[in-house]
Amino acid sequence: MAVGASSIAGRQHPPIRRRSWRGRVPERLLFGVIGFVGVLLLWEASVRLGLLKASLVSSPSGVINAAIIDFGSGAIQPHIETSFLEWLVGFAVALVIAIPLGFALGSFRRLEFLVDPLLAALYATPTVALVPLIILLFGVGIQSKFAVVFLEAWVTLTVSTINGVQSADRRWLDIARSFRAPKSLVFRSVTVPSSIPFIITGIRIAAGRALVGVVVAEFIASNIGLGFYISVNGSFLNASRVMLGILLIGGFGVFVGELIRRVERRFEAWRPAFN
Amino acid sequence: MLKDGLALSADGIRMVYRDRSTRQELVAIEQLDLDIPEAQFVTIVGPSGCGKSTFAKIVNGLLPATHGTIEVRQAAHGRDHAMVFQDSSLFPWYSVLGNVAYGLVCQGVSKRDAQEQAMPLIRLVGLDGFEHKYPYQLSGGMQQRANLARALTVDPELLIMDEPFAALDAQTRELMQAELLRIWATSSKTVLFITHQIDEAIFLSDRVIVMSARPGRIIADIPIELPRPRELGIKRTPRFVAYEEQIWNLISIQLTKVGGRTVEAA
Repeated sequence: MAVGASSIAGRQHPPIRRRSWRGRVPERLLFGVIGFVGVLLLWEASVRLGLLKASLVSSPSGVINAAIIDFGSGAIQPHIETSFLEWLVGFAVALVIAIPLGFALGSFRRLEFLVDPLLAALYATPTVALVPLIILLFGVGIQSKFAVVFLEAWVTLTVSTINGVQSADRRWLDIARSFRAPKSLVFRSVTVPSSIPFIITGIRIAAGRALVGVVVAEFIASNIGLGFYISVNGSFLNASRVMLGILLIGGFGVFVGELIRRVERRFEAWRPAFN
Repeated sequence: MLKDGLALSADGIRMVYRDRSTRQELVAIEQLDLDIPEAQFVTIVGPSGCGKSTFAKIVNGLLPATHGTIEVRQAAHGRDHAMVFQDSSLFPWYSVLGNVAYGLVCQGVSKRDAQEQAMPLIRLVGLDGFEHKYPYQLSGGMQQRANLARALTVDPELLIMDEPFAALDAQTRELMQAELLRIWATSSKTVLFITHQIDEAIFLSDRVIVMSARPGRIIADIPIELPRPRELGIKRTPRFVAYEEQIWNLISIQLTKVGGRTVEAA
C-alpha cells in the first residue's frame, strides 16, 4: 500500500490496490531491469554450479574483474574512444547527407525514379561485402571505418525520409494550397512535420546499423577499437574481455536508442500520449 | 466581369473524371450555373456523390473544372475566399493558435502578428483558453470551431464550408449550426455551404440549392423565407417542416433513380 499517498477518496472507499512505485518508476524500465539482472544472476549461477564453463562464457563476476583491470590500467579507454569517434563521425555525416537527400528525392518524383533501383540495390547489399573495396579506396586507417559506418547508416535514413515526405496527407497539402501557401511554407508547415516520425524511426534504425558498421569494419582490419578488442581477446581465449567488449557495445546501443526515444517525445508533443 | 452585387458566379461548370484503370469517363457534374449575391447564405444539398463537394473544391481553386468559369468577387482587403474543410483537417502539429493564424502566415504576415490577429477570432468562436491546445486535445465540435476561425482570419469575401459538421454527433451539430449563425450575423459574409443534411441546409440558409444524383446538376433553387435571427426551435415550426418535406421529396426521387443506394444519403 502507498505510504502517505492514500487520498481522502481512498479512505472512503474499499481499499484500492496501489503500489508505491507506480507512477514513479515506469513499469517498462522496472521490468526491463528485472529481466536484465535476472539473466545476469542466471548466468553467474550456471557458471558457479558448473553448468557452463567460465573459460568459454566467462561470468558476470569475471567480466567485472576484467573491467576493473582494463579500466584501471587505462588499456580499454583508447578502444572505446576510437569506436565512439568512428560511430559518431560516420553517423553524423550520414545524417547531414541523407536527410536533405531524402527530402529532395521525396519531393521530386522523377529524381526518385532515377535513383530508386540504386538505393534498393545498396540497401540489399550487406555492407560487409563492400568492406574490401572500401579498404582499397580509403586504406586500413580510421577513414575506412568512417566510410563503412556511413554506408551502413545512410541508406536507411534516406529511404525513411523519402517515405516520410511522400506520406504527407493529401488533405493537408490541399489546406496549404487553399490558403495559397508559398512552396517554402508548404515544405515547412506540411512536409517537414509529417515526415518527422518517419525520420526519427530512420535515425533509430540507422544508429543501430552504424554500430554494426563499427564492429564489422574493426573486425576486418584494424589495430584499435572495441571490435578489435573483442576479436583479439577472442583469439587469446579471454572470454571475460570478449564479454566486456560485447556488453559495452550493447549498452551503448541501448543508451543511444533511449536518447532518440526522448528526442522523439519532445518532437511529438502534438501526438496523443503513447506508452 | 462579375455583375454588381454578386459574390460568386459559376457559369456552365462541368466536371469529368477519367478513371485511369478502366479508361471510363465519370461525369461528376453535368452542368452547373449559380449566381450568389453578396452576403447571402447559400447551401447546396444533394445525395452522396452528386458532385457538391467537387463543386466546393472547384470554387476554392483546388480542382480545375473541365468546362466553365468561376468568378469570385475580389476582396477590397483580405482574401476573396477561404474554405472550412471537413472534420479533422487542422494541422495536428500546430496548436489552435498556430492553426488559426495559418492563413495569415501564408500571406506573409509574421508569426507573431498573425497570432495576435488570430486571438479575436479564437474568442469569437468561443475557444479562448484553448489556444495552446493541440487538435487531439479538443472535441470534434471544438476542432470545427478552430477550423471556422482559421478560415475567418483571412477575412474572406466568400466562405466555403464543405460538410463541416458531418462528423459531429447530433447534439453538437445542432449547437454548431446555431453558433455558425451567430458568428455569421457578426460578419455579413457570403457563405457557400455544402451538406447532405436537409434540416441543416434550411436552418442556416437564405437559399437552398438541390442537386440531382450523379451526374450532378441543379434541380431546384429554393429561397428560405424564415425570419432571422433563427433559434433551433424553428426546426419544429410548420413552415420549416414544409420546407423539409419539399426538399426531401426532391431528393428521394433522385435516390430511387440510383436505386438501392438510399441508405447513403439518409
